[in-house]
This record gives sequence, structure tokens and C-alpha cells, in this order.
Amino acid sequence: MKKRETANKDQMRETKSKSKNVSVSVKSQKQKAVVKEVKPVEKEVKSLKEEDLLLDSGTDSDYDGDSLSGSLNSDDFDSDIFDSEDDGSQRETEDGDRESSKDEVHGIEGSDDNDDEGEQVDSENGEEDGSGDEGSEQDEVAEESDSSEDEVAPRNTVGDVPLEWYKDEKHIGYDITGKKITKKEKQDKLDSFLATMDDSKNWRKIYDEYNDEEVELTKEESKLIRRMLKGEAPHADFDPYTPYVDWFKWDDAIHPLSSAPEPKRRFIPSKWEAKKVVKYVRAIRKGLIKFDKPEEEPNVYLLWGDDSTSDQKSKHLTYIPPPKLKLPGHEESYNPSLEYIPTEEEKASYELMYEEDRPNFIPTSLSVMVNVFVHRFASLRSIPAYPNALKESFNRCLDLYLCPRVRKKRINIDPESLKPKLPSRKDLRPYPNSCYLEYKGHTGAVTSISTECSGQWIASGSTDGSVRLWEVETGRCLKIWQFDEAVKCVAWNPLSDFPILAVAMGRDLVILNTELGTDEEQKNIKDLLQLGDLPEPKAAVAAIVSWLPDELYGGIKIRHFKNISNIDWHRKGDYLSTVMASGETRGVVIHQISKKVTTKPYKIRGLPVSAVFHPSRSYLFIATKKNVRVYNLLTVDEPVKKLETGMREISSMAIHPGGDNLIVGSKEGKMCWFDMDLSSKPYKTLKNHPKDITNVAYHRSYPLFASSSEDSTAYVFHGKVFNDLNENPLIVPLEILRGHSSSNGGGVLDCKFHPRQPWLFTAGADSIIKLYCH
Amino acid sequence: MDVEGEDAAKVIHVKFVTKLDSPFEAPVRPVVIPSNVTRLGLSTIVNSLLTLENTEPFDFLIDGELIRMSLGEFLLAKGISAERTLEIEYIRAVTPRKEENPSLHDDWVSAVDGSSPRFILTGCCDGLGRLWSSSGSCTHVLEGHSGAISSVAFVNSNGAETVTVATASKDRTLRLFKVDTAESVDSTTRVRAYKILRGHKASVQSVVAQKSGDMVCSSSWDSTISLWHTNDSASEGESFAVKKRKGNNQAEEFQSEGEAETTFVGHTQCVSSVVWPEHDVIYSASWDHSVRRWDVPTGKDSLNLFCGKALNTLDVGGEGSALVAAGGSDPILRVWDPRKPGTSAPVFQFSSHSSWISACKWHKSSWFHLLSASYDGKIMLWDLRTAWPLSIIDTHKDKVLSADWWKGESVVSGGADSNLRISSGISIC
Repeated sequence: MKKRETANKDQMRETKSKSKNVSVSVKSQKQKAVVKEVKPVEKEVKSLKEEDLLLDSGTDSDYDGDSLSGSLNSDDFDSDIFDSEDDGSQRETEDGDRESSKDEVHGIEGSDDNDDEGEQVDSENGEEDGSGDEGSEQDEVAEESDSSEDEVAPRNTVGDVPLEWYKDEKHIGYDITGKKITKKEKQDKLDSFLATMDDSKNWRKIYDEYNDEEVELTKEESKLIRRMLKGEAPHADFDPYTPYVDWFKWDDAIHPLSSAPEPKRRFIPSKWEAKKVVKYVRAIRKGLIKFDKPEEEPNVYLLWGDDSTSDQKSKHLTYIPPPKLKLPGHEESYNPSLEYIPTEEEKASYELMYEEDRPNFIPTSLSVMVNVFVHRFASLRSIPAYPNALKESFNRCLDLYLCPRVRKKRINIDPESLKPKLPSRKDLRPYPNSCYLEYKGHTGAVTSISTECSGQWIASGSTDGSVRLWEVETGRCLKIWQFDEAVKCVAWNPLSDFPILAVAMGRDLVILNTELGTDEEQKNIKDLLQLGDLPEPKAAVAAIVSWLPDELYGGIKIRHFKNISNIDWHRKGDYLSTVMASGETRGVVIHQISKKVTTKPYKIRGLPVSAVFHPSRSYLFIATKKNVRVYNLLTVDEPVKKLETGMREISSMAIHPGGDNLIVGSKEGKMCWFDMDLSSKPYKTLKNHPKDITNVAYHRSYPLFASSSEDSTAYVFHGKVFNDLNENPLIVPLEILRGHSSSNGGGVLDCKFHPRQPWLFTAGADSIIKLYCH
Repeated sequence: MDVEGEDAAKVIHVKFVTKLDSPFEAPVRPVVIPSNVTRLGLSTIVNSLLTLENTEPFDFLIDGELIRMSLGEFLLAKGISAERTLEIEYIRAVTPRKEENPSLHDDWVSAVDGSSPRFILTGCCDGLGRLWSSSGSCTHVLEGHSGAISSVAFVNSNGAETVTVATASKDRTLRLFKVDTAESVDSTTRVRAYKILRGHKASVQSVVAQKSGDMVCSSSWDSTISLWHTNDSASEGESFAVKKRKGNNQAEEFQSEGEAETTFVGHTQCVSSVVWPEHDVIYSASWDHSVRRWDVPTGKDSLNLFCGKALNTLDVGGEGSALVAAGGSDPILRVWDPRKPGTSAPVFQFSSHSSWISACKWHKSSWFHLLSASYDGKIMLWDLRTAWPLSIIDTHKDKVLSADWWKGESVVSGGADSNLRISSGISIC
């Protein structure tokens, strides 16, 4: 290391001397300009040099750290680094200059050195001063670069002794004569600092301990150092990546270069290759690698073709193909065939039509020639300008930009397949489907019918004020009770041994003896209908109802304070509920026939429409206009449950004989099925009737229910309720029963099922009762 | 004449045969007739062959089937070759030739019985039974019921002096009447029941008498069938109540009351009709959609035919007196053969009616003929050998409630127009 350094310095010195010669021939002005540029770079080199030395001192055991410390200025070192970085651009320009005018640089540097350096150098330069021209100098440089550094003899005469021996002495060693060689006087820190400040070249100076002198690095050297620091080859010319030239001639070799046996891996298939192959195979299978190049699309395309189907455009989700222009047809022709030219009549009728209605078959040339007759032009040349061109292109633009931006997907589904799968009607037999019997005799609309529990008799009430008793089997009218008012509602007592009839008309509720039962039953009925000593009614009740004997037919008359709209018997046949639509909060009362007592009415919110007893338990269902409330008969007034129908106006209500299902008919023609185990919302809403539903009914034993409406029809449904709680009721519409004629806006006013047969009675406003049988 | 030539090309050689006696004996020689002749054409041909004074309508049978279309079509439909000489049997057409004067009642005629050739027994909805002589005059009025009579039956019509009849009523009772036939025919005599049969809890729907006349059987809305004794002797009537009837000008009468001998329970709904064709067998039809056969000594039902419809009427007859015909709450008259094993499907179904069937009766002597009455106001005569009615009697203006054969050649029927109508002159060979 030490040797190299010294060698460098020698070399440096020589170059300097040469450059100095050159500098003589260069103009001074130029020198100065260049010097300024070079300065910062030199600083950097110095710092690098110092760093290098530091590294050296760390690695080289020969050196003593302390000896070096004196020559190094760590503060400068840091600051210089930053400076150098800032001046990166300048360095580059300087590099460029150097390449172009290498000689000049040498000269400049030399001149610089000349100013600053000590006597020794000058003297050397002076010795060589007179020697030859530039060409010889170049040769020498070339020679020196080739020469080995080791050959240069050390200049100091102390010998090859460790310097530490004289560490504390004033001399550095002894010369040949035995005299002490004194150390150069050491600059103290302040001096060195001042020197640095004064001389910009100072950073390049290095103290050579061995020779006890200061050495200034040349520019070449600093570059060398810089390259080495980067880890590159020291010489810029050196190319580490020169192509390898194989000088060995392999052809002649008889023997292998290595005597090692062939390794095993040469014989077994490579795992890596196998993996790679598998990878490719998979890629091929997946279609990631394609062998066949995709055929190039022909460069021709369908000018009028449908581009909506082209793949490229339909890839985009939002692509909406522009509406197509019409293909040119005969009407576009300037010389159409004769048959396309409209006749006079056609033209006349065409003119009469509205613009939108005009058909397209008439050649546009007609409209082209605004209100002029069609022309056939003998040649293209004679066609005038198209008057509608602007308008049509405007319309086309409108078409394009007003086109809907939402893509409508039209789904081609057979509407039949969307229908729910319902069981066949044939499998749900029996159900009423055809009318065989009619019960004629009323003169007014039949408002209400009721079937006797055995199914032998039915009773009907009419607006003509009569209540009739019919024999179901023959259609024979057995009895007529005539009243003054229109009968609103009739209801048979559900007990078979009490064939009595409750009839509501106006404000009166009349209990009639039908005189149908056996003698013993008749006796019981007569006892029941005897108004003996009436118990003193409560004041609240007395204001609503009063019990009176019915003189006309020997029954009981219960007079209410409002018109009765609906009545219903309790299953035990003793209690009877009446609903007064206008009675508001006192609209529902319950009468007990055996005790001749009317119980305190419920407080109803809203107008009551209908009240129905639960078929097996002590609940009362009260329908108001919009909701159905369930009251417990035994306990409090507050409803147990509230069913929300979501309908505008409830007209009727019926409860399934099982007690868990309820149907509610409304005046807008809707019918709701409530499954009370399921929810308080309708399980199913059926919208069948175009007009008001007048009544709904359940069959007592068959899975049937029906609705009658003012549209003169009655609908029969299959409504099966399963014992299994997991299964929802099955509702299937079965039959539309027509036959009644509308009169005075009323159609079918009531419907009731036969208690034992799958038959339906319907009461019409046309004063006929019909029986629909299976 | 091309057309005639074509017609002539399709000719059939036929030979008419018959079982009828003179003057309807068949001509011996075969004749050639065109294939497109219908029943009317055949009838005129036969009439012309027989050279009858009064034209007589005939019906024609080929291999036991009645012809109801043109001859050619019939042969085609049945697959009979037209090459060979065809044997056509002709019978006198089953159709009424004469309509008797109707006998007016006060109310709907709900029941009629024509099993006695001397009388026609009718029941009326006003609660009166009437006995009509063959001359068309009402000889006896049977009174006593407080409700409409639903069914009437001759119990013993062969008695020389008295005829016993039974009536069933909606007032839950049956009444037995003894009618003295020796009385003068001129005036109407009112008859009171000699025995009142109480026990049913609801309307009695049907009554039928045993052949011997000892017992009657009744069915009721309370879904029971009861058997009653008809004799009026007090020896067995434990409730031997003698009642003093409110005095008409007639003398006081004794009325005994009877209780049911046996009650058959099994039906679940109204038993609408019973028949007692044999000594030990009773058939019943009910609204519970079943037809049952009861064994009288044991009281068990030995047959249960399920129909699917509520049944109103039932009769047993036909071949071997074994076929069951029943009609009910639909327009189809069904005929079952209980002897056919393993099936309860009807063997014949006649569906020309348009409303409920209220009555059906087998002809007493023919195996093939039966009548049916319906609420559509029509009475139809049927032959098992064809699916169409032989004849339709639509003289009633309203529902026909009851109908029966009378004297083997007449149909008597009562309806909601309060008339008893008699259509006579039906020739059933």
C-alpha cells in the first residue's frame, strides 16, 4: 500500500511537471475560468482521499492511528462531502471539458501546483524544463504508466524502520552520513485550518509520514480513488465484461479434462424439468397457452350488419347499440319501379292521414317532393337537394342521445311457468260447481240465508220483509213470516233440538219458533221463548236494548237503539251477538236467550262490522272497518289479539271450524286469510272480485270456503288446514259460480255452505236462492 | 241420376224379425234398403210391409242394441259387416201414445205409487194422501198428517174388499190406512189412519212395504231405517193408545200407535229412499253418498256402494231383479250391478237429465226398461240397451217429484205443478 502511494505520487509529480510545460502555451484567461469550475470537485476528491486513508489506517496494522490523526481534519471532511455533492453538475461539465481538452487541464493544474507547492517540486520541474516537445512527453507518460510502481526507490534515507521508533523524537531517522534527519516542523491545528481557508487546494494535500512531506494529489489520482471507492476498476479504460475468448482447443482433446465419474444427475430425468413440463401442460389444458395463433379477423365487415351482436362491443356492460338506420329501399330510389309509385287515390289518402300514421310503403320521394307528386328522375344528375336532410339528421341525433340509457332486459319466460304449482281441481273434488236447484218465492232481494244444522232446511230473509223457510231437498217453501221491515239477517240456532231462528230487521232482533221439532222440543222452545219476569237490566244495558214479547209470531223481540247489521249464534245456542254498525263504542252486545239478559257491551274502537264467536273456545272476534280484534269472553274488555287486515273496509268475516283460521272479506273485493298461529298479518290475500265482497263462508267439514260478491258471482276455494303446524294452509281457487243476475247494483248478497254436503247456497239480489251442488 | 245411383250402391240386405204377435208378425222375405235410412225410415218400411191400418212406431234392434242413428253409421260404429243379410228385430216403440187428463191436487204431488192396477196412490204436500181410481177420479182422501207427505206405498193392494196403504210424512210419523174399495166410486170418502207409527226423530222420507204386506219399512232424515208391523191387532201393540179424535160428523174411531220393530243404524245422513224387493233384503239410499243392502233378520248391511253424490231415490230391478238404479243430487242416473265382484263402479250411467233426479223405477216385467224423473220437469224412459232415452215425457210444468209405472203400460207422475199426470199407451213387450 505504501509503495503504491509513493508510486502514485511520483507519477503525479511527473504529470504535473509535464502539464506545467503545457501551461506555458495556454492563455491565462482561459485558465482562470476553468480553475473556478474545477475547485469544488477537487475538494470532494480530497475528502475521498481522507476517507480512503482512514480505511487504510483501520485495516493496515502497520499504521499507527495517532500518527495519522494529526494530518486529518475531520471537520473539514464532513463539510466537504456536502459541498461535493452539491457540485455534482459542475463536475460533469468539467469531465466533458477534460475529455475535449485534456492538455489544457493538465496545464492548468500544473500552474496551480506551481503557485502553491514548495520548492522541491519547482526544482524538479526546472530540471526538466528544457527537455523536448509534447510528443516526447506523451511517450514518457505511456512509459510510466506501464512501469511497475515497485521499482521506484524510496526517497527517504531513514531506512526501513518503523516510524514509531522516532515517534517522540524531533528527527525522523538518520541519513547515510549518520546525521539526523529532522522532522519537518509540524503545523498546529490553527495553522492548518487557516491554510485550508486560504488555499482551496489544501484539501488535496496529504501528509506523507514516511517521507515526511506533504503530497498534493493530482486530479487523475483523485479520480482513481473515486472509482476505487465505487468498487469499479481503477482505470476508466478497463472493461470487466470483455467477452471471454476461449483459447483452449477442445477438438483435439482425447482425454476428458476431469477424471470424475459422470454424475448421477446426468442419467435421471430432471425434477425441475418435470415440474416445468407439468406447469406447461396445465397451462395448455387451461387454455392459457394457445398453439394456434388466432386467425386474423378479415378486414371486411358487414356495412349494414347488426353490430349489437358483435363480440367486441357487447363485452362492455353498458354498451348500447345505436338505433339502426333504415336500410335503403325502393322508396329511396330516384327511379323507382312503376308499381312503387302511388296512385292518385293513395296520395290523397296519404295526405289526409296524420303524419305519425302514415305508412312507410309510399316512397319517400313523395315526401321529398313536399306536397308535389312523385317523380321518377331519369338520371341521378337531375335530383334536387333533399329538403329533409337537416331535419332527418337532427332526428337521428335525437335518436342517439335520447335513447334510454338503461338497458332493459326482456326475459322470455312462459307466463304459465310462473304460476304457482297448484293441485288439480279434479283432485280436490267434491266442491260445488253447478246449480241444480233454485228457491224462488221472495219478491225482494234476498239479503241473508242460514242453514239448519242438519241441512234439511234453510231460512232466508229478504228486503220484502219476509222470512222464508225452505226445504233443501225439494225447494219447497214451508213457511213464511212477514214483517214490516226489510230483513237484514237470519240465523238458525246451531242446536239441532232448538230449531229457532234469529231474525234481525231494522232495530229489532226477533227470535222465531220454526215449529219444526218434535213435540217435546216444541215444548222446550215455547218455555224458552216465554218472557216471564225479566231481570232488572243494568242501566248501561237498558239504554241499548229492551226485551219485548213479539205479538206477531209469539217469539221474543229485542229492540236495540241502533240498526242491527249482523248477528251470530254462539255454538252452545244460548248466546247471540248482535252488531250495530252505527253503535260505535256500544256497537256489539251479547244476548243470553235462556236468561233473557244482555251483557255489557265491549268497548269497540271504530265502527263494528261483524262479530263472530270462536267455534270451540270462549273468544269473540269483532271486525271493525280495518281490523279484527279478538276478545276473551270471560275476562277483560281489552282485546287479546289484533289482526291487521290492511284492507280499506271489511264487509264480512268467517271463522274456520278449527278455530285457528279466519277469512275476512272487504268492500274492495279482497279477501284475507288469517292463520292465527302464524301472525297477525294476512297469510294470504286473494283479490278476485271486481266488486264488494258481501259475505264469506267456511264449510263445516269439507275443506272449502266461498265468497260472494256484488259482481253476481260467488267464488269457491279449496282451503285445507293441516293438523301439522309446520304446514301452512293450502288455498286453491276452484270455481266461479255464476248464475245470479244483478239487480239494483246488488249481486250475490249472501252465501252459506250446506252443513253436511259440499253444496253452496247463494242468495241473490234477484230474489232467488240458488243451490250449487258438486 | 247419379246421386240415386250412388245411394243405391250402398244398400243392405235386411231381414226383419220380431217376437210380436199378429198383426205385427214379420214379413218373411228379406228386403234391400239403402244404408242411410234411420229409425224413422225403418219404421215406415216396416209399416208399409205390414200394411197396418194405423201406423205404429217401432224400435229396431241389431244384436240386442237399439238403433239410434242411420243404419250405415250404426254398422260402421259396431263393426258389423254390411255384406251379409242383416237381421233386424223390431219392437213396438216405447213411447206414450196417449196423455190422460191431469188430476189436480191442492199442493205439490210429492209421492205416487202405481203398483196396484186398480188405483193410483198419491201423496201431497198438503198432508193428504189420495187414492185415484183407474177412471181418473179421486175415490179416497187419506187424512191425518200434519206435515207434507213424502212417500206413499201400497201395503196390501190385493185385498178384495180393503186395500191397505202406508204414508210417510214430514211430521215424523207414518200412517197406515185401510181403504174400503167396495164403497161407491161417485163421492170422495175421507179415510183416517188405523195406525200411526211414531218413532222417527225427523221427517220420514220414504216408506216401502214388504211383499207379503206384513211389515213396512221406513227411512228418515234422522239417518235411521225402521221396520214396522202393519197389523192393527192390539195383541202386540204395547202402546195400545185409543184416542178420541175430535169429532167430525163421523163416529169415533180407534187409532192404534205402533213402535218400530227394528231400526237399522248405519247411515250417517238422511236416508232418502228404501226398497224391499225380497223378503229378507232391504236396499237403502242416503245423502251420505252410499247405497246399502240390509239383511233384515240380522240388521247388518251386507253391501255398501259408494256413489259420491247425495242420493234421492233408489230402485232395484232389471235382470234377475238385481240391478240397483239410483239418482240423486246430480243429473246422472246410475245403475249398479252388485253381483259384479270387486267393483263399485256403476255399470250404466244415463246423463240426459239436466237437474237432480227425484225418482227412478224399474219396469216390473221388463229387464231393460226403467224410468227416471227429474227436477228439470222431465220423465225419461230408458232402455239399458241404448244410452239415449227412449222417450221423454215433459208434460209437467215444474219439477217432477215422483213417478211410477202403472199397469205396465202407463207412467204416473206427480210434480210441483200439483198435477198427477198419466201417460199411457206405452208398449213394452
